[in-house]
Amino acid sequence: MLVKFIVRRLFASVVVVLGVTAVTLFLMDRTRGAYVPGIDLNPALRPEDIARLRADLGLDQPFYVWYVNWLWNVMHGDFGRSMIDGSPVMTHILERLPNTLELTLTAVLIGIVLSVPLGVIGALRRGTKTDHSLTIFSVAGFAVPQFWLGLMLILIFSVTFEHNGWPWLPSGGVTSPFGGGDLGDRLLHLIMPATVLSFFYLSLWSRFTRSSMLEVLSQDYIRTARAKGMSERRVVYLHGLRNALIPLVTLIGLELPGLVSGGLVVEVVFSWPGLGRLAFERALQYDYTTVMGVVFFTTLLVVAGNLLADILYAILDPRIRYA
Amino acid sequence: MDMPGGAFEGESHRPAQSYWNESWERLRANRIGVAAGVLLLVFALIALAAPLFSQFVTHFDPTRQHLLDNFRPPGRPYLLGTDELGRDTLTRLIYGGRVTLGVAFLTVALSLSLGSTVGLLAGYYGGWLDDVLMRIVDVFLAIPAIFLFILMSILFRPNAITLAAIIASVGWGGVARLVRGEVLSVKQRDFILAARTIGARDVRVIFRHLLPNVLPVLIVAASLGVGQIILIEAALDFLGLGIQPPTPSWGNMLTNAESYFFHSTWLVVFPGITIFLTVLASNIFGNAVRDAFDPRLK
Repeated sequence: MLVKFIVRRLFASVVVVLGVTAVTLFLMDRTRGAYVPGIDLNPALRPEDIARLRADLGLDQPFYVWYVNWLWNVMHGDFGRSMIDGSPVMTHILERLPNTLELTLTAVLIGIVLSVPLGVIGALRRGTKTDHSLTIFSVAGFAVPQFWLGLMLILIFSVTFEHNGWPWLPSGGVTSPFGGGDLGDRLLHLIMPATVLSFFYLSLWSRFTRSSMLEVLSQDYIRTARAKGMSERRVVYLHGLRNALIPLVTLIGLELPGLVSGGLVVEVVFSWPGLGRLAFERALQYDYTTVMGVVFFTTLLVVAGNLLADILYAILDPRIRYA
Repeated sequence: MDMPGGAFEGESHRPAQSYWNESWERLRANRIGVAAGVLLLVFALIALAAPLFSQFVTHFDPTRQHLLDNFRPPGRPYLLGTDELGRDTLTRLIYGGRVTLGVAFLTVALSLSLGSTVGLLAGYYGGWLDDVLMRIVDVFLAIPAIFLFILMSILFRPNAITLAAIIASVGWGGVARLVRGEVLSVKQRDFILAARTIGARDVRVIFRHLLPNVLPVLIVAASLGVGQIILIEAALDFLGLGIQPPTPSWGNMLTNAESYFFHSTWLVVFPGITIFLTVLASNIFGNAVRDAFDPRLK
């Protein structure tokens, strides 16, 4: 059953990936004919030079022809070369991916490690001051603009701290420009961006864990477990938490695509050379191949994330049967 | 408005309440929710009356530069200080509120109308139409939103209206899914069958019988959406993809401020706090509306 379900989902996923890349290319094609804005205005280039440049990049063809060619190459593992700097798109992606993953995985990890206990505490002490302050914290966390939080942290921990001669945190980049690059240096650079990014996950997931936990604890099987004299600790952690975490898995699975693109704002604030910023900068420069490469890659992750969440769901919760 | 499931006259001695009255009472009883709603209303009124405020309260024009008075800290006559061109922060915040709140409400309106149309059609007719529409929704929900925003804002030079359309182009998919799900369950109920039996046309069934039953879900989605949309809009403005200067918006005031906030803290603090308060109030109000109106919570 599960296999059949996965096969059907895989098929739907292919449709989604094709649709996403086609829509992206269509939008890019609509935005501008030239791949470099203002290339027509360059007096050093004769019209026939521009035409030759465009023909070399395949931009003289209608976008659907370009799309089919691109798709054919991608299926053969060739993502092409960047239209701006001529280096392979795959090199760009592989160069940026570790930075992005370093940032986002840290943030997600911090989010999970903190939000589950906080959610459980909120649920177990429902209605107390602790619960209320946790609720206020997460409602507030949900309303803070990420880029603003980033700027404020820079203002406090980089600017003010340095001003006062205290040990300060670097305000941008993955490593220090001179002599940096060891583990300690990387971690130092990671602290602020990861904090900002995890803040959102933290407020979202701790609320979710709390309500999910409350729902589970009111179930009959929990009453049964208590009635047969099981210790409260075992009831809460073995039966309660395990069942409460199932929906959280889906939620985290849905965030996986955000691992690549969701960090864009944070990457911009902290000058973090990640994948999101690559696509952002290249889209502004009409670098078709690079943008298509990143979009394709990200969409694959979206689809894979959803699929993974579904499968994990089926494994964690034996009540679920896929017809 | 009379609703299916509401009361029939004379059925009981106690005047039974309609769904809407009941929900309204529940909302009014939620004091924190009401307070948040009032705060939002006050912000909206201030934004609407922006010219009055700049005339009588701040005495400055939002785009007028006072180059000799740049980077003035909060005080008199610049109540919340000035920016790099000597423009008054408070006046710009008030005018920025017009843009930001206007875009937010327009976005909600656009994504709700497109989303509910698609959801109603897909849910009601089913079959191949449902398949096609829902696959389109899948695609729009799977495109990493940020790329869609970037490309769309290159395509349409963003002003308040196109920016709302851009943000709505991502938001409608979720609404469509929600409405479709709701329609699928309402469609099974007897009163729909009854309406069809007496010969009601599709249009009538959809607008007279399905839509009113989907409305609570839409109200909840709308009130929960405003806060998120304000955050998205602020982020887009911040990235330079949204409202373009010199028109002030809460987001693009922060873009400018990023270069100067080392010495002029107020330029970052005030717009940020304004966004924070507005989103906070929207979220709290949205939660209150959900608790009061969502039929599935009962």
